[in-house]
Amino acid sequence: MSNDFIRFLAAWALVHETADEGWKAAVSRGGEAGRGKGMEGGPEAFVDGLAAMVAEEKERLKEEIQKGTAHPASDSPADGGSMEEIRFEIGLIRARLETMETSLDKILKRLDEAGGRKAPSSSGEK
Amino acid sequence: MSARYRKILSVLAKRWLLGLVDARLGLVPSGRRREAFARQARLACEELGTSFIKIGQLISVRPDVFSSELVFELEKLRDRVPPMNYEVIREVITGEFGCPPEDLFSSFEKEAMASASIAQVHRAKLTGEARPAWGDPLPEGSDVVVKVIRPNVEETITADLEMARRFISRVKKTGLLRRVDVDSLLDQIEASLGREMDMRIEGRTAERFAFNFRRDEGIIIPRVVWKRTTKSVLTMEYIEGWPLSELASARKAGIDTHALALYGARAFMKQVLEHGLFHADLHHANLFATPDNRIAYLDFGIFDTLTAVERENVAHVLAALVYRDADRALKYSSGLGVKIRPDRIEKMRLELGRLMDRTLIGGSADEGPDMKHFGMGFMSLLKKYGVDIPVGYGLLVKSLVTVEGVSRGLYPDIDIIDTARPFVTRVLAGSLGDPARLKERIPAAVRAAVRELLV
Repeated sequence: MSNDFIRFLAAWALVHETADEGWKAAVSRGGEAGRGKGMEGGPEAFVDGLAAMVAEEKERLKEEIQKGTAHPASDSPADGGSMEEIRFEIGLIRARLETMETSLDKILKRLDEAGGRKAPSSSGEK
Repeated sequence: MSARYRKILSVLAKRWLLGLVDARLGLVPSGRRREAFARQARLACEELGTSFIKIGQLISVRPDVFSSELVFELEKLRDRVPPMNYEVIREVITGEFGCPPEDLFSSFEKEAMASASIAQVHRAKLTGEARPAWGDPLPEGSDVVVKVIRPNVEETITADLEMARRFISRVKKTGLLRRVDVDSLLDQIEASLGREMDMRIEGRTAERFAFNFRRDEGIIIPRVVWKRTTKSVLTMEYIEGWPLSELASARKAGIDTHALALYGARAFMKQVLEHGLFHADLHHANLFATPDNRIAYLDFGIFDTLTAVERENVAHVLAALVYRDADRALKYSSGLGVKIRPDRIEKMRLELGRLMDRTLIGGSADEGPDMKHFGMGFMSLLKKYGVDIPVGYGLLVKSLVTVEGVSRGLYPDIDIIDTARPFVTRVLAGSLGDPARLKERIPAAVRAAVRELLV
């Protein structure tokens, strides 16, 4: 039983070690391909590229943790993004209102020119 | 028959004859023959003025309907026309705002800085602060550009389109236009022109671009001055810089054109694969290099949008180009509306594979993949097999080719497909993490893992 358990742990360590080596190699290949001229070598290249990107993200995360600025994945970026989206949509509505105001000002000016101005001023005189 | 109608007919007849002469009465190879007629078609558009220049420009973004030769020839259409008298522009502005330019701006240059068939552009200075929908406010006294639609241009175009409809209905009776649904094409051109002539739509598109690129310091989108914008007048921030058609001056000023090419190509990939809104008229005059090494986008009249599902399919198609995997390209193109008859798929796959090998691998160490020849070849292949090409799909391929052309003007060795790689990887990795997809794939993955452990 204890032999089996040790064998199991050995297998676990071996799998971990092999995966780790494979991962490091993929990161290195992905990094190289990024600097190369093209992306050849089929879908394996996709995995290498992905590994390189994950490694970059890992370094960024490490840095953020050291600085104490890291947030849980589901936290602020998405919320911040949707708040920005709302702000933008409101900005667009304001923009529409501004152009509408411009058009209304134009109509008022035309009415003034056509003699409409007399009405408010005459009512003011009363 | 009106004088205008007679003029259109005589120009078309003259250009057709000249095309025939250029093509040595049709004795030259078919590619050169199409090029000769395409050149004459461009010259005819230039000769016939505003409406035809605009129609030609709109044809140049429709590789789904027209030959590649015609599409790339009409892309060269530049409508530089003599500017209109300031008094005419003053009248338009007064009609739009109820007061003249001198009351709306602290200064307004009477001489136009650019003039095209639909609109002309003047420089001015803002009277008060202006708040765009996104970004910092423009302070009082800022330099702005005022784009003013020429008077009666809408009526002229509508009348010319009507004439084009009458002419085409006569040609249709001869059976020459059986393959193309000209009426729906003219409807689409009319709708597109209608959008282009409403400056508020262009302003809103510019704002959306500014919002989408809010975290990219290398991209500038001019801010819109809404209180000085109407259907016929668009006021935007003035951007200092060089159009990419004047690269020599930019290089002399120390602009890093290599970095701009890479950044510009990546920005396009971002529009297509992340934002789902892309600029579909990226020729050299619509892009500026600024003195601080940034890219400014101008003119947002022609654009297209993609849904999240379409973006994922485009990412797969781009991945197929990266891996030169014809099967994947056809499979995911069908998700974008490219429907191929099942009995033709195998033949097409073989031809597409050959096309990819021919165009996406450089012939020598110096040559990179050639997106233009691939794009033209792919469109021809689809037409050859009678596949209907969705408008958006054609526009996307054409835009990719144009971006490659613009980027190569800045940096000849750029590999446009390679710039797509990080975006494609991110989109595909994102789709792998999709819970619905994971749920679908977990049983197969567990079976594979167990098999691996037991064997």
